[in-house]
Amino acid sequence: MPATPTPAQPPVEVFESGDAALRVVTSSPDREANWATVHALAGWLDAAGIDGVHGAVPTYDSLLVEFDPGVTSARQVRAFVLLGLRQLEFTGAPAREPREFLVPVVYGGEYGPDLERVAEQQQLSVEDIIALHTTKSYVIRCLGAPAGSPMMDGPDFPFPVPRLKDPRLSVPAGAVSVAGRQAVIAPAAAPGGWCVIGQTPLTVLDVAAEPLVPYVPGDTLRFQQIQPEEFAKYAGRKLEATQ
Amino acid sequence: MSLVIQQPGNSVVTDLGRFRGPRFGLPVNGALDQFSARAANILAGNPDNAPLLEVTALDFRMRATTDLLIAVTGAPLHLTVGGRECQQWEPVSVRAGETVALRRIDGGLRAYIAVHGSVEAPVLLGSCAPDTVVGFGLRLIEGRELKTFRNVPPIRQPYFDLPLFRLGLTRPQFTSTAVVEVTDGPDVEEFGGTADLLYNTEYTVSAWSNHIGLRLGGALPERQSTAEVLSRGVPVGAIEVPSRDELLVLHRGRGVTAGYPVLAVVTSRSLDVLAQARPGHKITFRRTSVPEATAKYRAALRELETLRSTVSTVFALLGIGDQPGNPPSNQPSNHYSNQPEWPRLAPAAGS
Repeated sequence: MPATPTPAQPPVEVFESGDAALRVVTSSPDREANWATVHALAGWLDAAGIDGVHGAVPTYDSLLVEFDPGVTSARQVRAFVLLGLRQLEFTGAPAREPREFLVPVVYGGEYGPDLERVAEQQQLSVEDIIALHTTKSYVIRCLGAPAGSPMMDGPDFPFPVPRLKDPRLSVPAGAVSVAGRQAVIAPAAAPGGWCVIGQTPLTVLDVAAEPLVPYVPGDTLRFQQIQPEEFAKYAGRKLEATQ
Repeated sequence: MSLVIQQPGNSVVTDLGRFRGPRFGLPVNGALDQFSARAANILAGNPDNAPLLEVTALDFRMRATTDLLIAVTGAPLHLTVGGRECQQWEPVSVRAGETVALRRIDGGLRAYIAVHGSVEAPVLLGSCAPDTVVGFGLRLIEGRELKTFRNVPPIRQPYFDLPLFRLGLTRPQFTSTAVVEVTDGPDVEEFGGTADLLYNTEYTVSAWSNHIGLRLGGALPERQSTAEVLSRGVPVGAIEVPSRDELLVLHRGRGVTAGYPVLAVVTSRSLDVLAQARPGHKITFRRTSVPEATAKYRAALRELETLRSTVSTVFALLGIGDQPGNPPSNQPSNHYSNQPEWPRLAPAAGS
């Protein structure tokens, strides 16, 4: 989420997505501006509390706005979206200080069964892959499936990482994965086709807490290598912001 | 006051869904056949969104420990209470100690049991709907006791011989060859001329279908471009072609984001039809427009509103509970599973 006003909103297109949703797509070459706009707009829709609008799902350059067609309509929601964009042009999105999260990860072995495959595919050593993965500070771009996963731009690998040909039926909670140019942590066990290079012992998702996951888009995240024997030491602890 | 599960089959306690979920990366979930779920609650004198039981495919039995009023809707089945054969889509009295049995779910897949005053269930983000991914919700097991809130003495004839349903509501059709209405998806152009295959093909529901999505076999439209798609929010009802084997139609348990182009989107009304499609059933798609789909959805809500008004009149005559549509006011609100208030949901259009 942008910490400063964004006076120039990129142009958007609004597409029908059935009778209960609209897709709003930003169409500027500026990826950061696109991302900032869809998240600011989602925040605006939350705050506006429009009758019949359930909420919005912002990702990178698009926003899915869901609504109850018994109360409102695609046409009315489209008008609200355009109003929101106009208003954001004048006010900017509310500033919010990003928080940082530090995530301990055991790489490779049973914790990261695809680490060696990724190293081979990138024509790098396993150590290089870990170094590249732990060097970067990642901006959480959006919350994705499953269950509020923190979707991030991937590490600075030479090549995009291909997805698994046969997705796994279950990837454990805490799995740290890469695919394409993206990186993610699995908050809950779920099927997955991304390459799992490690696992964090921390609890990411807590169904007894609200919010369920501690981060929001715009927060930053860093990975830190730990050894397998340290896994148990961290197990059961919750992921929390460091600042 | 409670009911005890004797034979759970495949059953859960749910409601209309976790509408705040997608904002936090959780699917909406909730009753897959929303019309049947709303109708069950209305017939039991409850708010549309009250927790109720969803029974999928398998036989189910429960015993009442107190006098209850229930309503069973959804797929056709054989309903007995204390061994007496009873009608679906009508309020039914259950005496303390009697067993309610749902057998031979047929023609459709899912049935709904609403209990007057509802049942207790845990709540996450304003909804009791189970979420299999995060491991939340009440999947019923044998011996499980569900707390109920209302004791309703048995209702005497003749009032409950009145066919309430015929007074306003069209009972949905359940068939093995369903027509499902869809609107063009935001990415339809990516499929070029092959998109029309969706409308000219009879698809077969695969056994690998569930609340997350239905897999359909048949001639598949093909994406013409190979450009990588950034993850996007996908609506419930989205039709995708993720593999060369099957069409995927996402339902209420769908992950909120995905990177596949959306060919078409099933209308809210037709999602109820898909909720009742059994493996082996045939599906054909019909193209419609968003305004037409919205009109049909609102017409269904109006039917439910008419039903609510009929039920309300009959219940008032019989002196049952409060006005349907309101949570019971003679119970502390925390009896409704820590829900401070009923989530605001569609009052039927025109009301």
